[in-house]
Amino acid sequence: MGIIFANIIAIYRKELQGYFASPFAYIIAGIFWFLSGYFFTGLLLGPDGLIAGVAAQDQQGGGAPVDVAYQFLSLFLSVLGSIALFLLPMLSMGLYTEERKRGTLELLATSPVTNWAVALGKLLAVLTFFITMVLPLMAYEAFALSASNPPIQPAVLLLGHLGLILLAASVLSLGMFVSSLTDSTILAAVMTFAIVLMLWVIDLIADRVGGNVGQAIGHLSLLKHYTNFIQGMFSSGSLILFGSYVVLGLFLTAQAIEAFRFQRS
Amino acid sequence: MIEVENLTKVYGSTPAIADVSFAVEPGEILGFLGPNGAGKTTTMRILTGYLPANSGTARIAGHDVHTDSMAVRKRIGYLPETPPLYTDMSVESFLYFVARIKGVAAGDRATRVTSALRRCNLEEKRRVLIRKLSKGFRQRVGIAQAIVHDPPAIILDEPTVGLDPRQIIDVRNLIKSLAGDHTIILSTHILPEVSMTCSRVAIINKGRIVATNTPDQLVTQLGGKTRYELEVEGEFESVRNQLGAIEGVQSVESLPLADAPEGRYRIRVESQSPVDAGRIISTAIVQSGLGLYEMRRSQVSLEDVFLQLTTEEAIDPAAQETESEIAPETEPHEEGAA
Repeated sequence: MGIIFANIIAIYRKELQGYFASPFAYIIAGIFWFLSGYFFTGLLLGPDGLIAGVAAQDQQGGGAPVDVAYQFLSLFLSVLGSIALFLLPMLSMGLYTEERKRGTLELLATSPVTNWAVALGKLLAVLTFFITMVLPLMAYEAFALSASNPPIQPAVLLLGHLGLILLAASVLSLGMFVSSLTDSTILAAVMTFAIVLMLWVIDLIADRVGGNVGQAIGHLSLLKHYTNFIQGMFSSGSLILFGSYVVLGLFLTAQAIEAFRFQRS
Repeated sequence: MIEVENLTKVYGSTPAIADVSFAVEPGEILGFLGPNGAGKTTTMRILTGYLPANSGTARIAGHDVHTDSMAVRKRIGYLPETPPLYTDMSVESFLYFVARIKGVAAGDRATRVTSALRRCNLEEKRRVLIRKLSKGFRQRVGIAQAIVHDPPAIILDEPTVGLDPRQIIDVRNLIKSLAGDHTIILSTHILPEVSMTCSRVAIINKGRIVATNTPDQLVTQLGGKTRYELEVEGEFESVRNQLGAIEGVQSVESLPLADAPEGRYRIRVESQSPVDAGRIISTAIVQSGLGLYEMRRSQVSLEDVFLQLTTEEAIDPAAQETESEIAPETEPHEEGAA
């Protein structure tokens, strides 16, 4: 057990080092930070932003009081979710395609490391990288929202970001599986994006299907469960769904690598 | 140390290797020799547990490579045809990583990495990114990666391919220095490599082992012939008749001779006779009034044995043709490495 843990740590450290040494990872982070910063100011302070909207409403002297901080947070997090949807496949696309191209899969496969330990180490590393992308955002959100009255509960903020990270873990895990199927980095990114997009909007499809089947399909929706989290609702069902995607991705990756060795000519 | 029994691997319907059996004793270097596509890489991949065999068993240090894969993986170092390198890592951090995943205890890692760096002459490059290294250095990092955890068995797939003569010598010396403490299998299609580095040879052709022995014994066992090359003047037919009549002479054939004066040509005589036929041959030529300008004796080499074993119609003139074509090509290797 200790050995397996040490292996996971070894893979994790190597992968993480790779991210922090790779210009590509910084470009992804840069795009993420730029877009999120742009939307942050736009949604909060822009001419069509929340504050301006509420001020206009007040002038007209109508409507119920609005919890700006809370509304803004869920709006911003849903935008972050969409941005992440585009960027996460780019983080996951190289996870195994690079190993396959460089022949290092042969090194891993002939080392005393199990496939799933490799997959878990990789997933944890890429997730850690994503969390470091999210942390600065949390800092400036906390800073801006601390000025609100009534003050926002820290739990709501944390829960929303936990949702974002769980969403990322699911997408990255599935993306890792896709990348284990092909040598082509681009194909892995495109395929992952297609799968994730489908899971994102699957509840729209489910609505059309209707009935019990429709309801069952609807529960697979990433968006639906992510929305739960960002609205400050903690549901164990959502947690289990995201957890299931992660485990499914890990399991399929380990199987795909095993199969790759067996079919290899 | 390494035991392989009746190993068979089939891709689709074509067998890559069939009924391969051999054994390697502890401390030995076994040269796995065969033309490209003979099944060398497949056999090695099965030995490392990377590929499953269709039938047969392979054991390393008593552990079956398939059923007890993890135990085997701990005990082998493997250099695939293309060295598996993370090019964005430095040499040192890459070796630390490999030491970690190979299960080297934390306290021993620094010693093991330093010793691998030293053995492979990589000390000056330890902080350089692998991406920036030349092919020769990358190959050395590949070997360092295979020995960093001090495995009892080392499997090297074409370790000298694509290197310049100087680097080839270095790598061969490195491999030789590893013998004794380690059991080594190396595959190659370069013959001098085998006679220079290996204590034993297994020749594989079309997926089958055709011979296993020490390089010297292979030559005597399958060769056992003495060969003479002569430059003569006279009619070829009469020379052939003269020499063919001598006891023990097996074949007489003419060889192309570049810018030869009119009437002069080169012949090759192969003799099986235990006594040295040189005297009889020269006497026969001189007595029949032909001119003898040059005479040279050459031993049958491992190359000939190899060609004889891997070419189906060895007596066929076409095969002999390839022989004379290949010989000068591989000769410089031998000189370069000697």
